[in-house]
Amino acid sequence: MIETSLKTQTGTGVAAPAPPLVVEHVAKSYELDGGGIVPVIGDLSLTLREGEIVSIVGPSGCGKTTLLNTLCGLLAPDAGRIRWHGREVAGQPQNVGYMLQKDLLLPWRTALGNTMLGLEIRGMPWAQAEDRCRAMLDQLGLHGFADHYPTTLSGGMRQRVALARTLVNEPDVLLLDEPFAALDFQSKLLIENDTVGLVRQGRRSLLLITHDIEEAVSLADRVIVLSKRPTQIKAVYDIALGADRHDVISVRQAPGFSDHVRSIWADLDVVLQ
Amino acid sequence: MTADVDAAPASSAAAQTTIGPARPMTSQGRRWLRLRSTLAVLVTQLVVLAGFLAFWEFMTGQNKAAAFMFGSPSAIFKFLSQMVYDGSLWRDTSVTGLETLLGFFVGNCIGTLIGLSLWYSRFVSRVVEPFVIALGSIPIIALAPIIIIWFGTGLISKVAMSTLSVVIVALVTSYKGATGVDPDQINLLRTLGASKFQIFRKLVVPASLADIFAGLKLTVGFALIGAIVGEFMSSSEGLGHAIFKAGSLYIIPKVFAALVATIALALLLTFAVGKIEQLLMPWRRQQR
Repeated sequence: MIETSLKTQTGTGVAAPAPPLVVEHVAKSYELDGGGIVPVIGDLSLTLREGEIVSIVGPSGCGKTTLLNTLCGLLAPDAGRIRWHGREVAGQPQNVGYMLQKDLLLPWRTALGNTMLGLEIRGMPWAQAEDRCRAMLDQLGLHGFADHYPTTLSGGMRQRVALARTLVNEPDVLLLDEPFAALDFQSKLLIENDTVGLVRQGRRSLLLITHDIEEAVSLADRVIVLSKRPTQIKAVYDIALGADRHDVISVRQAPGFSDHVRSIWADLDVVLQ
Repeated sequence: MTADVDAAPASSAAAQTTIGPARPMTSQGRRWLRLRSTLAVLVTQLVVLAGFLAFWEFMTGQNKAAAFMFGSPSAIFKFLSQMVYDGSLWRDTSVTGLETLLGFFVGNCIGTLIGLSLWYSRFVSRVVEPFVIALGSIPIIALAPIIIIWFGTGLISKVAMSTLSVVIVALVTSYKGATGVDPDQINLLRTLGASKFQIFRKLVVPASLADIFAGLKLTVGFALIGAIVGEFMSSSEGLGHAIFKAGSLYIIPKVFAALVATIALALLLTFAVGKIEQLLMPWRRQQR
């Protein structure tokens, strides 16, 4: 897997290209029905480099989902700039994959039909799209389930279909909002492993929002810890565990793993009642 | 005491042989159980119906006045077979069936198209809302005299009545379906680069199908009411005409005979809608 990933790496340009995502001093608040204003994101800056996996953890209700929706262009920030590959984009950014805890599969489409959604919207010829989607489903261990409706699939398989739907569009950047939170531990480890493998293999960048500290540390090159509302960055950890970063399961046994987890836990400042 | 001690192991052994270990049930056994419970429901329904008819027959058989006022199952059957024999049953049922079907189709097409397309613009739907409520609150029968003036006494006026009874319900149910789509799903399609029309076609329309079909099942009855009310007002054929004529001549069993045909027509149409639903929404069948 490492060999192939090295081979598929495209030669990095001479002049360093602009990073896929740069967030500068973004702020966002909500207006309440009563007229009050709740500042959700205070002041947030971060950079996602090419081929990098960054996890964002924060206390419950710290506006992680608001951040994600703002990045996707579904919400407009009150202040600050969001640049994709060096450019500010109006509306939805191109080549960005988006995945939530809810699989959001369309019940009237089979696994294959759901995977084809993005390519269909882009107008790719049917046969070509079908071939690519079947290959992607096979890669994610869903061989033989392409023609099943979502209601007949397990939670882990449904989330795999959602992942296939995201990855088949070959996004440069993936924005994932607690995508594995609803899965049991085993399915979660396996799908995490596949996700990281495919992301690193394709030199894609991944921004993962999660409340699971172990998940954040085992997957990411960098973990950003957010404060309570109004959200700011509280701490940043570079995770250099030296292990094979394609294998999220062995990373959990690496020396230093539990130290990272413990210090992030301390940063989150969780008060036990 | 000693007898008790002796008896204890014996009784537990007996219990074991009678209850036995839990045997896994075969799929054949499960299918048989399901069939048996369906049969039980069906038999009970038939018994209730037969009991009701027998009671009716018995009570009206004792008393001539009651027989005149309420008819009797045997008299109804006599009229039904007579109507089959002279061809009027088929003629009236097909006339009313055609009116109902046309009104059902036109009303649902117009209502569903408007209801779904209101999804496109929050502004337009807010403008339209009070008008829809106002139109929906008009008792359709109050429009009958105008409809007859506008469309005459033939087929068209009955279809118009039927359409009007259907259209508002179809509009409201399909609009409810369209606006009930999960906003996260809309966001997902937006991030995949879908245009508003693509979101409409690939998400809103199929997601609304469940509500649209709920509306279709509801409006079968409304379409039939519209057609029959139209026939009451002025007509020369149809089940409504038969009911009205027999009623004004005090031939109560004939009224019931025509009613039986009306019920059969409604059941047939509802059944057809259910079949079409299964055909158009195969993912719902797999669920079970």
